[in-house]
Amino acid sequence: MSRNIAEAARKFLLLGQCVPTVKQNATKIRVKRLELDENLLMYFRKDEFYYCHDPDQKCKTGDIVLIQSLPRKLTKLITHEVKEVVYPFGDITDPITNKKVAKERYREDIEKEAEIYGKLKSGFDYNKALPRGWQDGKKDFTSKPTYTKFHVFDENDPYAI
Amino acid sequence: MLRRLTTSIIPSRGVKQLVNIKWVRPEYVPAYKQERSGDLEALPKIPTNAVPEVYALTDELKDAPESVKKIFSVEHLGKKEYNALVKKELINRVRRHQYDDNTAETRIARITGHIRCLQDTMEKFPRNVKAKQTVQELIDKRKKLLKFLRQYDYKKFEWLLEKLNLEYKAHPETYYKLSRKESLRKLTEMHCEDIRRNKLADYRNLLESQQGPFLKQKLEALKFIKSEQIELQLPVTVSEQDIKKVEEQLEDWRIKDEIKQQARKKKRNILLD
Repeated sequence: MSRNIAEAARKFLLLGQCVPTVKQNATKIRVKRLELDENLLMYFRKDEFYYCHDPDQKCKTGDIVLIQSLPRKLTKLITHEVKEVVYPFGDITDPITNKKVAKERYREDIEKEAEIYGKLKSGFDYNKALPRGWQDGKKDFTSKPTYTKFHVFDENDPYAI
Repeated sequence: MLRRLTTSIIPSRGVKQLVNIKWVRPEYVPAYKQERSGDLEALPKIPTNAVPEVYALTDELKDAPESVKKIFSVEHLGKKEYNALVKKELINRVRRHQYDDNTAETRIARITGHIRCLQDTMEKFPRNVKAKQTVQELIDKRKKLLKFLRQYDYKKFEWLLEKLNLEYKAHPETYYKLSRKESLRKLTEMHCEDIRRNKLADYRNLLESQQGPFLKQKLEALKFIKSEQIELQLPVTVSEQDIKKVEEQLEDWRIKDEIKQQARKKKRNILLD
């Protein structure tokens, strides 16, 4: 019974996090689950990975997204599609007050504090900030998985460490 | 007995190489080096006659003779004062307000300044073990702080990378020791993948080259069927749309084929050169 429900739910909607992947026309989503160990009667974390169809490149690495299974498999790998980006990564909005948050403080408060102390030009300005992704592939190498460098190729891959 | 003899004569240990690939082991780069730590620039340019912060504001030094100024400059006071100026320079790039020195960006800036100073030391004295340890710890700490900043404020993270001229690479899934066996396996896999891709591309080219003649034939056949049907006063099954569709397809194919042949010609010219 419970298994049926779980399977039905899996077909309906899933909440997961986008993780870096090498595939160009698919996004990889990690869905965290808990699995019961019957001997210990304890739950342990178990991750499931789904490759999702995302033609508009809606989600970026780290975003929390809702995914839904496709009526028909698109390829051997791609079984789901990205429905909606629920929480963009590193750009958190407080659900109660609808204000932007950085860590445990409102961004407003941070700005206000800087103004009281005497704001300098060198500080970061949220209003002038560019949307996420302008450093991707230039100085921020997080959209693809990194790996240990194993060979000297002609072209130097920045994702090789 | 015999087996022991054969193994001693013919060494059969190691990986059997089925494909002719030469593996080049990447050269060891110490972790403090710029390419490993992610710093894209060296120490900021600070003039040798700069005065440390403590003396910079005093009135006595302002109208002091040149020789006194020289004694109180960084050149004379030593490396420690110079490093303090480096840190101050980097912090000033990202400071929110005058009293800001414990937020994430200023901490990262300070650590970056310290790292760059130590990198300079390591270049001069590569056997300085204490500096080596410290710089390693600081690099790890900075990476951790950047990771956290990325999690709660992505826009600021990207801005900070630009300001401090840093590079951020995420941790790999697993860190493992480099081995010949594993590397060869990966290279072989890549080689196989290449072969597969080339074969598929060749087959695709072959099929596409056959498309044009077939479409021509189809067009002729359709026209012939239509004319016959009209002549014999039979119900006409081939519509104008069918013929138009085939004509369009043929036109598309011609354009694609031309582009392909031009590319092939270019390649040939490059090879000849």
